[in-house]
Amino acid sequence: MNIVVCVKQVPDTATERKLRSDDKTLDREAADGVINELDEYAVEEALTIKEAHGGEVTVLTMGPEKASESIRKALAMGADKAVHLSDEALHGSDALSTSYALAQVLKKIGFDIVLLGSESTDARTGMLAAMLSERLGVPQVTLANKVEIDGSSLKAQRLTDYGFDRVEASLPAVVSVVEKINEPRYPSFKGIMAAKKKPVEKLAVADAEIDAAKVGLAGASTEVVDFADAPPREKGQIVKDEGDGGVKVAEFLASKKFI
Amino acid sequence: MRFVLDTEQRLLGDTLHGLLTKAGTPALIRRWAAGDHDRTLWSALGETGVFALAVPERHGGAGPLPVELVVAAHELGRHAAPGPIVETLAAAALLDGSAAAGPAAEWLPRIAAGQAVVSLGSPGRIRRALDADAADLILLADGEHLFSAVPEGPAVRALDPARRLFPVRQVERLATGPAVPRAAATAYDLAALACAAQLLGLGRALLDVTVKYARTRRQFGRPIGEFQAVKHHLANALTGLEFARPLAYGAALSFGSPDFPRDVSAAKAAASDAAYATARTALQVHGAIGYTDEYDPSLWIRKVRALRSAWGTPADHRARVLAAVPEVRGESPR
Repeated sequence: MNIVVCVKQVPDTATERKLRSDDKTLDREAADGVINELDEYAVEEALTIKEAHGGEVTVLTMGPEKASESIRKALAMGADKAVHLSDEALHGSDALSTSYALAQVLKKIGFDIVLLGSESTDARTGMLAAMLSERLGVPQVTLANKVEIDGSSLKAQRLTDYGFDRVEASLPAVVSVVEKINEPRYPSFKGIMAAKKKPVEKLAVADAEIDAAKVGLAGASTEVVDFADAPPREKGQIVKDEGDGGVKVAEFLASKKFI
Repeated sequence: MRFVLDTEQRLLGDTLHGLLTKAGTPALIRRWAAGDHDRTLWSALGETGVFALAVPERHGGAGPLPVELVVAAHELGRHAAPGPIVETLAAAALLDGSAAAGPAAEWLPRIAAGQAVVSLGSPGRIRRALDADAADLILLADGEHLFSAVPEGPAVRALDPARRLFPVRQVERLATGPAVPRAAATAYDLAALACAAQLLGLGRALLDVTVKYARTRRQFGRPIGEFQAVKHHLANALTGLEFARPLAYGAALSFGSPDFPRDVSAAKAAASDAAYATARTALQVHGAIGYTDEYDPSLWIRKVRALRSAWGTPADHRARVLAAVPEVRGESPR
């Protein structure tokens, strides 16, 4: 089983995230980079599948040099090898062009199953799994909270607003996972040391036959026109309960159309 | 020499910080103090490889790795993780160096895997064994003899309720010979170093929570952190911790050299003073809330006070540093 996990390095959610004023892209210097939390669940699922069915887990990331830290963590958790797509030409790529670039790499390295977190904590589009499956021409199973591999097909539970759907797909397929699917393991010290010796293949756009005109800021289909800091939170209003507290709460909720 | 931590060492620290944050140590500390010695966290630390850092490879470990031990102990201190962790790490060094082949082969792989809780004592130095009622093995190093021991009587009243101290008595001799005192000395120094790192972690956590509190607690119409007198206390706490930190890493780097005991003592004395000053500042800046049992930082404050004099008081360690100065030893300066 050739399992590929797409991971993304994102700014630490605990820190203040900023956009750059010059080209309106993410300011990667302003915050510490960490592996996207939901992708850790995808790594865990990949390792679980490997432990049950054998095979190899490859970590795939697209991002600047600094993203190698996130690769390192996934390798320390137990992934076997990594592919790091890094090129100045990719700077400013949107979801659509990112999916193109990653699909080109996936075609090149091959896969039976592609796993990724259901969304990233920074851009939060949640579109990549769908875009990848379209570009690769394979089934998409998104928002999975349970995955079982059965020979050349997979069964999954897909989280919905009303519960979950049971879906089946033939392999190869693209699967995005939600945090209910498992409990990601912590890397052990032995795993951390072993990760040092695991192969990380570095690719530039030309190596993956990516058309540089279709990626980066210029190749993006979407554009950040403007942005502003979130307004500071307004001071809350304190209502004193003089026997009519319940009524006042109800009035407030009604005024906001909650009830 | 690059005097910064490498990627792997940082990842080890981050991993432990994540694991311990999720474990929620305040509740575990309170349960431990009440005598509930659940091993879930201990096993998780074992799987992460914390104990393997003190166990040699031939017995299933990865060590001894003093720098990584300092990194790990710092995070364990930052979360005030309960249990005889430092004692178990020291016991690994003691068993490994004591020429006690049988007990070493039996216990070291279990220690490395997080399957054994070990406490220890040593007449004169460590009179009472920490958490002896929770331990699978208690070691007692006395001169050229290494014994296993059992607790004798109930726990004595301790400063930190989560550190339960027991008198112990020897039951079986495990090894005899000049290797025992040598191993006991190394074990003592490693434990004092890990204890110093724990103190720095405890201090760091206390400073973080106190700075946060000073930003939100308002008095006289503004956050108390805006008052210069409060700022100065916090800045002093920070500089104390920051000046002690390189001493701990420096000592880790001199492991195996004749300077190791001296460097450990410098680190332990400085870390004790810095963490204790930080704990007092934390208590003062918090005001009355800092004295309450229900408020989590009180667990950290009491642990600092206990660890300050565990594995040698600051005065003991200053005396060791002084004794290592060539002029004091009657030698010409190097």
